[in-house]
Amino acid sequence: MIELDDAPELAPYHDEPAQLPSAAPGKVGLLRLAFEHRAGRTVLADLYRQAPLLAQRALYWDPEMPELACVYVISTSGGILQGDRYRIDVSLGAGARALVTTQAATKIQAMDANYASQIQRLDLAENAYLECLPEPVVPYRHSRFITHTTVTLPESATLLYAETLLPGRTHHGGGEVFQYDLFSSTLRAGRPHGPDLFVDKFVVAPGRWPTDRLGVLGDFQVLGSAVLLTAPGCARRVFDRTPPSWDGDVPLAAGVSRLPNDAGLMYRVLGMETEPVRAKVREFCALARREAVGRGVPPVPAWR
Amino acid sequence: MGVPAPGIPAALALLQFGDSMFPVGTFAFSGGLESAVQHGVVRDRAGLEEFTRTVTHLAATGDGVALLAGYRGAAAGDLNRIRDADEAVHLRKLSEEARTMTVRMGRKLAEAASRIVGDSMLDRRLRQAATDRVPVTYPVALGVLFAGLGLSEQDAFAAHQYGVAVMVLGAALRLMRVDHLDTQAILYATAASAAQDYQRAAGAHLDDMATFGPVIDVLAAAHVHAHVRMFMN
Repeated sequence: MIELDDAPELAPYHDEPAQLPSAAPGKVGLLRLAFEHRAGRTVLADLYRQAPLLAQRALYWDPEMPELACVYVISTSGGILQGDRYRIDVSLGAGARALVTTQAATKIQAMDANYASQIQRLDLAENAYLECLPEPVVPYRHSRFITHTTVTLPESATLLYAETLLPGRTHHGGGEVFQYDLFSSTLRAGRPHGPDLFVDKFVVAPGRWPTDRLGVLGDFQVLGSAVLLTAPGCARRVFDRTPPSWDGDVPLAAGVSRLPNDAGLMYRVLGMETEPVRAKVREFCALARREAVGRGVPPVPAWR
Repeated sequence: MGVPAPGIPAALALLQFGDSMFPVGTFAFSGGLESAVQHGVVRDRAGLEEFTRTVTHLAATGDGVALLAGYRGAAAGDLNRIRDADEAVHLRKLSEEARTMTVRMGRKLAEAASRIVGDSMLDRRLRQAATDRVPVTYPVALGVLFAGLGLSEQDAFAAHQYGVAVMVLGAALRLMRVDHLDTQAILYATAASAAQDYQRAAGAHLDDMATFGPVIDVLAAAHVHAHVRMFMN
């Protein structure tokens, strides 16, 4: 059981909100999604949800992968609020194929007390395939958010997990860029019965350590990350087809690294605007899908 | 007759094993500077100072925590704690050049120490690593070595921060238009934050190790593909 409350970066934020106390009923969002492969397609065999998290049913909207169970994760409260505690468990049985995304950008609302946390578990069985592709995350002024994701998968399974972190509400008021207090993210992956494969933990606290430092984000503001955990052969093919790019004029930069213990790849994209970064991430995800399961990706719908 | 001076052996050990000339192969690495210069991220002396600050800060919040864990494991005579610290470092090196650096320098430090100071916890860890999936890593090896030499954990932390800064600045002399006085001035200036960095690292656990240097990550990825390069990172 992961406990986040003791993380040192949260030390200044243990005061209770004037509204509902932290982790009060109505502030603990739970979501459990279990996918199973049945008769040529994947079904959502188990669904448990507790507001403010909501998921309804699996949809099959991908013409390139008609067997892919697609689920929208929905927030019923218009964003993540101070004192919210989310827990999301996703499991895929052998051979299951699923896509989990969010309905809209994840808005981490402004805070004046406490923090919000999210604990995720992703468990994949043999030959399972999961795309976890949420919409961008927008941390508002003085928001504090900590998220911890644990992935367990065998070598035959594939996980594609991509996220885009925005600097804030760039065009809100006079512009709200890196005004948030804390964004702490941990991704830990391992094999089902050990050992661990890699850990990616980053803590961004712009007030304490400026993000525009050279080597940190410099002139960039939008950070896209895609993690591809897959068999070494697939990872090698994707790596070979993903040359680094660095365009100081746009600006847009991207590069892929081989993770420790043959876990797969980490792709990072840096930009000034959201769309060029998302386009690079989508390109990488399309390549990953092609190499992992031999399928294409449908065109991006106009509303996304 | 002179007065006894118990501080002298410790000072000499610190100078010897914290020295940038100690043969662990530091000169082969640039800490990401080569790629940063090639892509115009670092252009001048001011940029070099800022970049060095970033690299040393990331070292303090990441590897520095494992270094202290290694030191404390060695002081307690606990090989498992040393191995845990090595594993924590290795799992967090998400770029292959960073992994190569920490594993190669860690092994060289352990081998050199074995020759120079003889049997130690570091030597035991090195022998264990020969048949183990968890390699010896540089920051942990440094912490273990300093514990064995009877130096303080503050000394170990400081030597590591110094080594990281000197790696970047030593590479800068070959990559940029800066001279030795510039790099020494930067080294002195960036050292000012080390005490505060130590305070934070001293209370942290291995799970708290964190870094945030996306530009350095992307530069490292670009460097792997580069055809012409002087340094291994």
